[in-house]
Amino acid sequence: MYKFLFILVSVWFVNCAEQVNQQLINRNVERTIDLTSQLVKITTTITLENTGKESVRTFLVVVEPDNVGNLSYISVKDTLKEELKLSATKVENRPNQMFSVQLKQPLAAGRSNVVTLETVITKGLVPYPSSISQKEKQLVRYFGNHYFYSPYLTTKQTTSVTLSSRSPENYTKLKPVAQSDSTLTYGPYNDIPAYSQDPMIVHYENNSPFLTVTRLERLIEISHWGNIAVEENIEILHTGAKLKGSFSRYDYQRDSSSSHHSIKSYRTILPAAAYNIYYRDSNGNISTSQVRTRKDWIELELRPRFPLFGGWRSSYTLGYSVPSYQYLFRRTGASYVLNMRLLDHVFDDMHVEELETKIVLPVGVRDVVISPPYEMERLTDQLSYKYLDNMGRAVITLRKTNLVEQHIQDVEIVYNWSTLMLLHEPALLATALYILFIFVIIYVRLDFSIHKPDHSKKE
Amino acid sequence: MLGLGKKSSVGNNTEKQETLLTLSILTLAAILSFATRLFSVLRFESVIHEFDPYFNYRTTKFLAEEGFYSFHNWFDDRAWYPLGRIIGGTIYPGLMVTSAALYHLCWLLNITIDIRNVCVFLAPLFSSFTTIITYLLTKEVKNAGAGLVAAAMVSIVPGYISRSVAGSYDNEGIAIFCMLLTYYTWIKAVKTGTILWGTLAALAYFYMVSSWGGYVFLINLIPLHVLTLMITGRFSHRIYVAYSTLYCVGTILSMQISFVGFQPVQSSEHMLALGVFGLCQIHAFVDYLRSKLTRNDFDVLFSFLVYTVGILFVAVFGVLTLSGKISPWTGRFYSLLDPSYAKNHIPIIASVSEHQPTSWSSFYFDLQILVFLFPAGLYFCFTQLTDANIFMILYGVTSIYFAGVMVRLMLVLAPVMCILSGIAVSHLLTKFMKNTDSVKPTDHKKSKKLESNYVMKNEISLAFVGVICLLLVSYTFHCTWVTSEAYSSPSIVLSARSHDGGRIIFDDFREAYYWLKMNTPEDARIMSWWDYGYQITAMANRTILVDNNTWNNTHISRVGQAMASSEEKAYEIMRELDVDYVLVIFGGLTGYSSDDINKFLWMVRIGGSTDRGAHIKEWDYYSTSGEFRVDKEGSQTLLNCLMYKMCYYRFGQVYTEGGKPPGYDRVRGAEIGNKDFELDVLEEAYTTEHWLVRIYKVKDLPNRGV
Repeated sequence: MYKFLFILVSVWFVNCAEQVNQQLINRNVERTIDLTSQLVKITTTITLENTGKESVRTFLVVVEPDNVGNLSYISVKDTLKEELKLSATKVENRPNQMFSVQLKQPLAAGRSNVVTLETVITKGLVPYPSSISQKEKQLVRYFGNHYFYSPYLTTKQTTSVTLSSRSPENYTKLKPVAQSDSTLTYGPYNDIPAYSQDPMIVHYENNSPFLTVTRLERLIEISHWGNIAVEENIEILHTGAKLKGSFSRYDYQRDSSSSHHSIKSYRTILPAAAYNIYYRDSNGNISTSQVRTRKDWIELELRPRFPLFGGWRSSYTLGYSVPSYQYLFRRTGASYVLNMRLLDHVFDDMHVEELETKIVLPVGVRDVVISPPYEMERLTDQLSYKYLDNMGRAVITLRKTNLVEQHIQDVEIVYNWSTLMLLHEPALLATALYILFIFVIIYVRLDFSIHKPDHSKKE
Repeated sequence: MLGLGKKSSVGNNTEKQETLLTLSILTLAAILSFATRLFSVLRFESVIHEFDPYFNYRTTKFLAEEGFYSFHNWFDDRAWYPLGRIIGGTIYPGLMVTSAALYHLCWLLNITIDIRNVCVFLAPLFSSFTTIITYLLTKEVKNAGAGLVAAAMVSIVPGYISRSVAGSYDNEGIAIFCMLLTYYTWIKAVKTGTILWGTLAALAYFYMVSSWGGYVFLINLIPLHVLTLMITGRFSHRIYVAYSTLYCVGTILSMQISFVGFQPVQSSEHMLALGVFGLCQIHAFVDYLRSKLTRNDFDVLFSFLVYTVGILFVAVFGVLTLSGKISPWTGRFYSLLDPSYAKNHIPIIASVSEHQPTSWSSFYFDLQILVFLFPAGLYFCFTQLTDANIFMILYGVTSIYFAGVMVRLMLVLAPVMCILSGIAVSHLLTKFMKNTDSVKPTDHKKSKKLESNYVMKNEISLAFVGVICLLLVSYTFHCTWVTSEAYSSPSIVLSARSHDGGRIIFDDFREAYYWLKMNTPEDARIMSWWDYGYQITAMANRTILVDNNTWNNTHISRVGQAMASSEEKAYEIMRELDVDYVLVIFGGLTGYSSDDINKFLWMVRIGGSTDRGAHIKEWDYYSTSGEFRVDKEGSQTLLNCLMYKMCYYRFGQVYTEGGKPPGYDRVRGAEIGNKDFELDVLEEAYTTEHWLVRIYKVKDLPNRGV
């Protein structure tokens, strides 16, 4: 059903391919490429000018062909920091992935407007050399574009690249270019035609954790007795340069420098009200974790069972409970609203390849309406049975790939549920016990033997 | 409810009170026996302990997930590479079936319990059942009072707790319950002489056979009981019915377990049961004839029968033994009869600590006052001989012998110790409690007579009761202390006290196994000493060469040879066995004493016990003065063998203790003798945080010309 809808929608999108409005130009573009973490975060401030005669309501944002699969997050904000509406679109004769951005107010002829485009690209940094020994430093290469990739003409453009090291090994030098500390500044470049590309390569040292969550299963279980249980099954992989040769514990213990490409531990932020926290894997509890309570959150320092080197993987389960009054609200009568995070913080600058969130609703819910904060694939609903259930709980499964920190947002679920269902299970248990006692009473009081013993007490 | 019957009938009321009291005491004892076994869960976590339980856990998981038929036909290619192991035919499936059944029952009721938790809490659950069955058994032998005391005692007896704490998921956990259940039904059958109880006993026996190899003890004890009854002239139709039913049904049922197979009719361990069964028939037939014939005719017939049957029996037995139909006695049972047998002949049996003879102190440690009360209980059984009492005496005497031979069999002894001590305590207390009562006016004459015999009878009785109570209280404290200190460590997680009093946890085993699971290829083959085989397959899910099911001595010997050889020789063996990784346990940094260096002599002995390892001689590994040492004085063969190199690779640079040179081994208390060496054919793949587990990768053959 959903797939069908999806196909319908995409067909519709293809059919209504847009024309590029040649009247729009990028008067000034300032790009900041942040390469300090494992993610590529690009913030672009665009001064958009309408040189035509008619006012313009929408403009286009193009994804670079190299980044099509790796674009995790994109958002456009106006000067008031308010988010603008994005919708996927196509342009005739161009294969590029594009977004059409709806401006809050039409851009009148001759006027200009400043918008901020924010994109996060995953897997943009490639370790080079791809495998290193334990003592070596991790070097990565960034492959980008010197120019801002746009369907419009760009009059002036500057780019600054922030690196995590002060001395990059190598970088492309498309003049004018300058380096100061850990920042490279490219440009200004003038009058760049639309869809211009010129490869930019930066080779530098980056020892920040290259940790990828290859799969995250998040299970949210709602109980109207006042508790919401959250369990996350997380598989992680160190996606940095692979470890070459042997691992020496002796060298590892002697090396006390904090900037090392291996990952010893990381911090996970939990909601402030979380309790009953557990951290385990298939072999049992992992005893190396620490909980620190901060004012507005709980900080969990997690140490995997072993330090992670490039190419090493691990997996664990993290679970906790939160009181339901912070997330579950009664709207009217029997209607309830749940606001829970679809994805929560795993570590800073995280990259989640695949997320599957399951939400287990209480027994006997009806009219469930889900509004996810972004487009998600909804898998078929299931029923789960737990704690003597006989009716089963509805389980809603949502799936999405390639997520980053910016995707930590709430999902809203509205459903109808009658409070009487709270008594469903106690009543069931009571009935079962009642029937059991009745049977015992009948069995004890009546004589079922076929053969009457001769020396019966009654005789 | 009690108040209602007060006036109508006083007798009824006391009966009800007694039932209430019995039930509440039993319930308390059952709860206590469950609760006292939870120390390790509370201190650490709900985790499976030690070595064998990990195998049981793994198979149970398989059974619960795949169903009985695939379990029965399971060929395990993860163990004993390249031979593999047929799991279904080489285990007692009772334990796995029990927990899988419990698991499925819970899921049927939508109680979504994890299979691991079923396994962890199965042993405590069954010890609760054992408490109840002990009460029933003792009640049959003596009376309800003795039953309650015995039940209370068995609930906390350390000898039994040692094998049934939460997480100790082993056959013994349920086997003791099965054994006592069989005894109970057997005594019931003897007492009533009904086929019903006989069949129930056979079913209980079947459950026992399906769950533990120790059933052999049982199938020898019951015939022994019958034989004793025959000799003492107590043989009757009741016993005939009971034993014939039990033996026929029980044997057929036990042969359904594929691991047991045809042993009940072939192996010598089961021959007593078969012989006694035959004897039963003859005895019954003779009794029948005697009732029909005159005395003289009978005597002639009897002597004729005795001679023919005797000669025939010897001839048939001889032929069968020579033709190999009756299998020779296996090593483990020789070691039961002759404690020194294993040490002299089979190193692999002798290397297991639980197969060692029991020391006297461990009797006291595991049983405390029961050791002293046991003879008293035996005495009270002798004073009133009944069929049931004779059984208890036999059980007590045989099991105390076996417990003396092998530490492990303390487990079989513990329940009978409790039963007999329960009888003794209950008997003594009833005797003396009567005297502490104020003198009743009704039987004035009797009391006067007694009073003339005993001086200060009241005070003495009180003092005696006080002493007994004191003993019982000390027993309770001792049991709790032993449980908490000695038997509640999971041994998979170690803990120690740091200087400032905090607790340090050594979780290195799981760290290493998880590393293997996550970061080695799915089909990697791992060589380690057999102790860790079960844990590696269960926790790391990797193929291993040898494991705790020590069925193939040659294969284990080959691994022993690899560990004991020099690097080049070992490399040949490792290439031959397709080894990818080698895992060793090393305690030199932390002071963990049961590591591979301390076990090394067994590897040498077992390695040298086969033809291919004939060049490995134990004496080469001792220093010139005949000591096993790892420092400079140690023998060169030891200092250059694979095990030594793997344990001490780069350890020579590590400072372990203040004031000691680098490379100081804290277990052996010596600075290692061979420090700066490199490994040619191995590379360090992983070493855990406290160096407890070290994993090496076997290098590929070098390219030509390099």
